[in-house]
Amino acid sequence: MTEVKVWTEQGFVANDPWQIVEFQDELPEGDVIVPLEAFVALSDEQRHGVGLEPGRNTRRIGVLISPDDEPETIADMLGQIALVAIDFPKFSDGRGFSHAAMLREQLGYGGEIRAVGDVLIDQIPLMRRVGFDSFSVKSATTLKRLEEGRPGGISLHYQPTAKDAQAGQGYSWRRRSA
Amino acid sequence: MYRYDEFDHAFVRERVEQYRDQVDRRVSGEITEDQFKPLRLMNGVYLQLHAYMLRVAVPYGTLSSTQMRRLAHIARVYDRGYGHFTTRQNIQYNWPKLVDTPKILEELAEVEMHAIQTSGNCIRNVTADHFAGVAADEVADPRPYAEILRQWSSVHPEFSFLPRKFKIAVTGAERDRAAIQTHDIGLHLKKNDAGELGFAVYIGGGQGRTPMVAKLIREFLPESELLSYTTAILRVYNLFGRRDNKYKARIKILVHETGTEELTAQIEAEWEKLRAGELALPDADIAAITSYFAIPDLPERSEGWALLAAEKKRDAQFAAWVQQNVTAHKNPDYGVVTISLKPIGGIPGDASDVQMDLIADIAEAYSQDEIRVTHEQNLVLPHVALADLKAVYDQLAGAELATANNNLITDIIACPGLDYCALANARSIPVAQEISNRFGSAERQLEIGELKIKISGCINACGHHHVGHIGILGVEKKGAELYQITLGGSADNETSIGEIVGRGFEPEKITDAIETVVDTYLGLRTSPEETFIQAYRRVGAQPFKTALYGEPAKAA
Repeated sequence: MTEVKVWTEQGFVANDPWQIVEFQDELPEGDVIVPLEAFVALSDEQRHGVGLEPGRNTRRIGVLISPDDEPETIADMLGQIALVAIDFPKFSDGRGFSHAAMLREQLGYGGEIRAVGDVLIDQIPLMRRVGFDSFSVKSATTLKRLEEGRPGGISLHYQPTAKDAQAGQGYSWRRRSA
Repeated sequence: MYRYDEFDHAFVRERVEQYRDQVDRRVSGEITEDQFKPLRLMNGVYLQLHAYMLRVAVPYGTLSSTQMRRLAHIARVYDRGYGHFTTRQNIQYNWPKLVDTPKILEELAEVEMHAIQTSGNCIRNVTADHFAGVAADEVADPRPYAEILRQWSSVHPEFSFLPRKFKIAVTGAERDRAAIQTHDIGLHLKKNDAGELGFAVYIGGGQGRTPMVAKLIREFLPESELLSYTTAILRVYNLFGRRDNKYKARIKILVHETGTEELTAQIEAEWEKLRAGELALPDADIAAITSYFAIPDLPERSEGWALLAAEKKRDAQFAAWVQQNVTAHKNPDYGVVTISLKPIGGIPGDASDVQMDLIADIAEAYSQDEIRVTHEQNLVLPHVALADLKAVYDQLAGAELATANNNLITDIIACPGLDYCALANARSIPVAQEISNRFGSAERQLEIGELKIKISGCINACGHHHVGHIGILGVEKKGAELYQITLGGSADNETSIGEIVGRGFEPEKITDAIETVVDTYLGLRTSPEETFIQAYRRVGAQPFKTALYGEPAKAA
């Protein structure tokens, strides 16, 4: 089985609690990520009740967004969602970049956005800039690079994005990452 | 010309290092060719028929002498002594070694050049009118906006994995020399009634297997909104462009399938959410970028008028070259020189290292250190004093660079075709060469007048055959090459897609067929002033079909 690890800017996450489930009739224990369509189909109680009351040993529910999905569908529910996972079934399908950008910039989503699927080292710096903050990684090269502390990327940018960055030198559109 | 500041220099250096690391990983086998492909493509590295090909960006076609010398140096050291200027105003090298490409990019970076996004499913090199800044019919120089777009699109995190490639062209003149209606986004710089600058915005033009003329989606976009509006277009395209079929993935198909009105509404709705954000262009920034493109201080050279008249009288060939290859400059003491890269019987767009060095020297001495690459695969010296034209001509003539054929029948656009390209079905270069030889006589070319022949070796249409007055498309049938003729295409203000006239011709018959088309035109034009395209638009395809294939059979 391929090893899958979750990475954030702080490093690899020990014991990441999230699991993606395909079928939602009977949700398993723990924090689960369900596809957008299934999430919308959940009852309000299921969506709202879980994980919100302190002391109750309940789980949190996250949403999985596929390239074909429209995140606006869950605009009203975003306040209660702890994690949005965006799927990259193929690294060459860039729709997830726009989904993340729109979740951050237009829908005001402040929770965790995670890239899942075909997540490669050369895409991670771009993903971070549009608003992703965790990455579910299975590529051996990518894991190796991240373990070595080499996430890659360029510190200078020619366009503002969802991720905060200092103003770059010169013109209004430039940015500089720390 | 735009000059890199520290930020640009550091950015390009970082990008070269990032690419070097990607090549290292490929060479060591750490990543697969599949994973490497989009990475190398975004740095202009193709895998072609015989070797890797490197496509170097010449943003909006503007070069300095220093940059041209570096291109010559790369041709000499890393290639076989020549480079090929393309319809994207780029230059490409056909024989570099993959392991040399990081070093080549490093050498390019030293002279403020790069190969970023010259390929791949991202926003490509932005093109512009090759006479920008000097053309007498210009409203404003389009290059500052092209430069802003170049910067904004460089390693854009949201738009690096689009459904397909994405091309933007900008023009600022009455007459469109940038073929904006054949681009994914075409921007026509203009002034509104209040005298403010802005753009007419076209989207969804393109060639390839489904050629389409772009649609006007906004009459006037204020210049400050350039990036917010472009972002809205790209975002809608990224989300809704087709990804199931690479041949249907360009924005032109999205425009066609969604409908111009509906897609425009989606773009405008997205723009409404974006326009208040960080992408508004401050006047001060537009002004700062524009100042780089200010026309240089051109000394008064009014003595040139009399000198030029005398030289023209003395040398008929020089006079013909001036007539054909020199265009009016904003400053009446100066001219804009087109250097033909189409010598009779030559390979369109090719230049040797020696020629590139010579052109760099001439530009330094006589053209304010500036050179342009045209989308018609020629070069331009934008600021030559009339008094210096003869000296420039003499130097160019000594290097086979003074063919007086700008806009004439031998000024042919041709893709590299089967001689180099992995996609091609047929050769293009030998066809161009044979037509050039057939029509090589200066008198005959002048008699025929303005006529644009464009040749592609496959349906992808890199040779722009769809918009050639006469287009030639090489196809492969049962293992043999066959050439289809299209007529009536045009890439100017009245952009049109040419019509296929009938069955294709064998390689040995295509030149005769072109001659038949030309002779038919000469026989039916109302006067020598009526150009081929005007005549074609008047009479339609039938007289040409009849001449090529005989009288149509009577309807039963």
